[in-house]
Amino acid sequence: MTSTFNAFDLMYIIPLLVLAVTGLLLVLAESFFKGRQRNHLMGLAVAGAIAAAVTAMILFRYTPDDEQGRLVLGMLKADRFAYFFTVLISFATAVTALVGASYQDEHNWQSGEFYGILLLVATGMTVMAMAADLVSAFIGIETMSLGIYVLVTSRRQSLRGTEAAMKYFVMGAVASAFMLYGIALVYGATGTTNLDSIEKVLANVQDLQLGLLVAGVFLLVIALAFKVAAIPFHMWAPDAYEGAPTPVTGFMATAVKASAFAVFIRIFVNTFEAESTAFGHMGWTSPLIVLAALTMTIANVAALRQENIKRMLAYSSISHAGVALVGVIAAGLGNREAATTAVMYYLAAYTVTTLGAFTVVAWLGSRDRERVLVDDFSGLASRHPGAALAMTVFMLSLGGIPPTAGFFGKFYVFKSAMEASDQALLWLVILGVINSAVSIYYYLRVVMTMYFRDPVEEFKPLRAGAITVVLVICALAILEMGILPGFWLGLAGG
Amino acid sequence: MASAWVLPTILGLPLIGAILVMLIPRSEAGLARGFGFGFSLATFCISLAILGYFDSEYGRFQLVVDKEWIPGLNAHFKVGVDGISLWLVILTTFTTPIAILSAYRAVDKHVREFIAAMLILEVGMLGAFVALDMFLFYIFWEVMLIPMYFLIGIWGGKRRIYASIKFVIYTMAGSLLMLVAIFYMYAKHGAITGEYTTDFVALQKNLVLSSEAQFWCFAAFGLAFAIKVPLFPLHTWLPDAHVEAPTAGSVILAGLLLKFGIYGFIRFAMPMFPAGSQAWAPLLAILAVVGIIYGAYVAFAQPDVKKLVAYSSVSHLGFCVLGVFAMTAMGIEGSIYAMLSHGLTTGGLFLAIGVLYERRHTRRLAEFGGLWKQMPVFAGIFLIITLGSAGLPGLSGFIGEFLTIFGTFVASDASIPVPRLLAALAATGVIFGAVYLLYMFQKMMFGPITHEANRTLKDLSGREIAVFLPIVAMVFFMGIYPRPFLKSMEPAVERFMTTYHTKLAQTRDQTYVPGVSPKQARAAESSNPGALVPRLQPAVAASAPAAVAPPADAQAAALQAVAKRATAPPVAVDQAPAPPVAVDQTAGPPVATKIDPQTRVAGVKGALR
Repeated sequence: MTSTFNAFDLMYIIPLLVLAVTGLLLVLAESFFKGRQRNHLMGLAVAGAIAAAVTAMILFRYTPDDEQGRLVLGMLKADRFAYFFTVLISFATAVTALVGASYQDEHNWQSGEFYGILLLVATGMTVMAMAADLVSAFIGIETMSLGIYVLVTSRRQSLRGTEAAMKYFVMGAVASAFMLYGIALVYGATGTTNLDSIEKVLANVQDLQLGLLVAGVFLLVIALAFKVAAIPFHMWAPDAYEGAPTPVTGFMATAVKASAFAVFIRIFVNTFEAESTAFGHMGWTSPLIVLAALTMTIANVAALRQENIKRMLAYSSISHAGVALVGVIAAGLGNREAATTAVMYYLAAYTVTTLGAFTVVAWLGSRDRERVLVDDFSGLASRHPGAALAMTVFMLSLGGIPPTAGFFGKFYVFKSAMEASDQALLWLVILGVINSAVSIYYYLRVVMTMYFRDPVEEFKPLRAGAITVVLVICALAILEMGILPGFWLGLAGG
Repeated sequence: MASAWVLPTILGLPLIGAILVMLIPRSEAGLARGFGFGFSLATFCISLAILGYFDSEYGRFQLVVDKEWIPGLNAHFKVGVDGISLWLVILTTFTTPIAILSAYRAVDKHVREFIAAMLILEVGMLGAFVALDMFLFYIFWEVMLIPMYFLIGIWGGKRRIYASIKFVIYTMAGSLLMLVAIFYMYAKHGAITGEYTTDFVALQKNLVLSSEAQFWCFAAFGLAFAIKVPLFPLHTWLPDAHVEAPTAGSVILAGLLLKFGIYGFIRFAMPMFPAGSQAWAPLLAILAVVGIIYGAYVAFAQPDVKKLVAYSSVSHLGFCVLGVFAMTAMGIEGSIYAMLSHGLTTGGLFLAIGVLYERRHTRRLAEFGGLWKQMPVFAGIFLIITLGSAGLPGLSGFIGEFLTIFGTFVASDASIPVPRLLAALAATGVIFGAVYLLYMFQKMMFGPITHEANRTLKDLSGREIAVFLPIVAMVFFMGIYPRPFLKSMEPAVERFMTTYHTKLAQTRDQTYVPGVSPKQARAAESSNPGALVPRLQPAVAASAPAAVAPPADAQAAALQAVAKRATAPPVAVDQAPAPPVAVDQTAGPPVATKIDPQTRVAGVKGALR
């Protein structure tokens, strides 16, 4: 393990540095702006996120496919996997900043630190995606989480938001404790926190302290399950999602989840072999299988009854996390390459779709009334056909109906689960597709409300060209990813 | 190949049409209609080119286009037609412009969206009929769903929301399990041959699943198709969807969408999982007969004409299912023919009901009566279509029903239980069919005019006559001269039966190797992936040579004898002590001893003449 400082290595973490520096600049710049002017900071935030995405793309191109990845500062790993997630996170950040500005304008609250914190959160996420050490993963998670707590409550007048942030904070603190304790136990068993070294130790050393290791791994599973809001560790999610300002909800449902899954894959799939972590013959996947089955099913049933679209999307995002967990399990059970690709594609598809959906929800509300009930969408198609069409695409994609990205993502995850380990996951796949069929009901309910009902009152949506651009990009990307997924699979390593 | 352009063109044309229509300004409803009709008509004209290129002596897929599509998955954009799908494709392109034309008056809100939905629906249907890649098929299969959902939900009747969501949930529930079966085949094929593919032809050729796996895969595929048909206990979505759908939607639904159930059985479920098919066939055949009689009874009791016709579909499609599972060439050809005829006549009946509904805004039988005097042209057309649906000899319905019933009658009792009884029961369904259809006609057309509103009814307009004319012409043509249709189906149907029986023999071979339990065989198979492939090659090759000249005097009895022989327990090829890993042994072409597909086909052909 060489951790000598090499200035040249900094080149590999340019996206991370861009995000961090822009975030700090934004925090500084905030004090020079007042009132509504603060929303001009949005430009800088978007530029920073885009710059990070572009540099990540360039580095992605120059990172050979087969390379193990370069260790930077002994803590971060620069490989294609990391850059893929960096682009995804930067995209979500840019969209959130764009939508967040119009949203703040309309709802008459100006929060300049919103942008700075957003970028710093993105920095933490990038650290998570690049984590090569349990400690750096923890630092990334904490950086992200602390920022998100603030973002949730950034609309200070809102009681709901404050309550949600409080709940989220307490739960998140517990999860962090689990994570730390898990890291400590794993360190006790293996003598290192570096993921590569842990892998070597697991492969070579015979007389491991298995009790410590298994306990540590289970604590890590619980901590990460909190972060992706897998059932039964999801209690905070619906409230936090509902209470947070809508653009922040979209950010939480996508970037937070994607980066948590990046850590999941880094720690579990790439480090701990499922078979060698003694707990039954399936190792750490056995608790995950239970989590995935519960998550998909319970979240779906709960989503059926939701009248509030933000809550509905919250439960839907929980159930999507369940599907992604199926992919992680498949990756752990011997189908590592294909299933990792599947999870990455799935998260990309899910991120684009969910961001789009939350953007529509944020767009629809006006100052007098935030329209967050499903019934508030009544007759949208006859007044705003473009937005209704975009929302339809998002809903179909979330429901997994071809030819959308959401369908192909689900297809690919379930396919990889089917190939893993001699059809041992067949029942999980069947449960997954039954859940998809159930989920169609509540997604189509939104479509039905938009198209089949007459408008009840006039719509006064936000007026912002940026939102139109976001919707068009998301909808087209979903269709493109669904019809010609080959390119994206190639990027994800398949 | 010069003909390769046709199928992509007929898929692309409606899609381009749909996109262009959405770009037309909202106020230009007339222009949108014109575009829709023009594009669908052009698609129909181009689809006729398939007939020109199609070689009806040839049973394999023709006009095949195979382009790489998703490299990571090895899914291809592979399309082609054979005798089974040929006429269904033409029926689709034929019906769509008629449906669009019929909706010129009926649909007056969101015209642009309506036309786009119809055109996208056409793309989905055509794609599902010509797709030769399981993944591609699944995509098209689902693409059909969404436009239909909107057609029912936006332009439908009072309970449209309930009906549309019921339609989607039913169909999705079935098709998602089919998707799991597709995964399973994909994974198995990859494990056995080392090549992951979703190509239907490759899967059908190389992948012989164990009987148990076939049982479940057939169940998964069969559920999706049985819901679509719809088979008896799964039919409840159909009357709701039909009654609430606008006329054009009903025409497409009854005329085309329901055909995918039968088509799916013939194209995918049966040839890929013959052992599963054999296990399920008795149940499905009995349910089909129950559906025939139940549908007819319930239709008779309906006060709403549209619901009556909807239930008549349940009854008519029962014939198709029965014919398919009888596993005789005649039954299958009859089944396909009955599908075509049902598409024309039931589509026509829904159009006729639509004409009346536009004028009177009611569909209750009791509201009509004595219309013959008011609308003689309409009454005449309605009569022809009704009689065609009821199966009057000389009209299209008769040929299909006759062939399916006869095909069932001569079927071997190895494929379905008590074939003669089932055929007899199905034949009573024909009588019931005549009863309720003629009852409906008499109630509406004859007798005195009992409602004042009916006195002012106008007869058909020029546009409406243009809508009905092609249907009436085809009802006559298909009734009088079925030869060209049957002739182009024959080679494909024979090929279907050959592959079915070859594969059945291979399945038996693989599963019941003496001394080796299926589990051991599977273990051997997964430990030695390449082993199965060379063993299967001879079997496939043996079925390839051209057919032996059929013996002229082969009759139904001969056919039954052949069928019995084919289904008797196979004589084990190697009586030698069981080898440790039996699957590794190349036991020579197993087909020769177990079944002689050529003889069987010859027998069937003889029976047909």
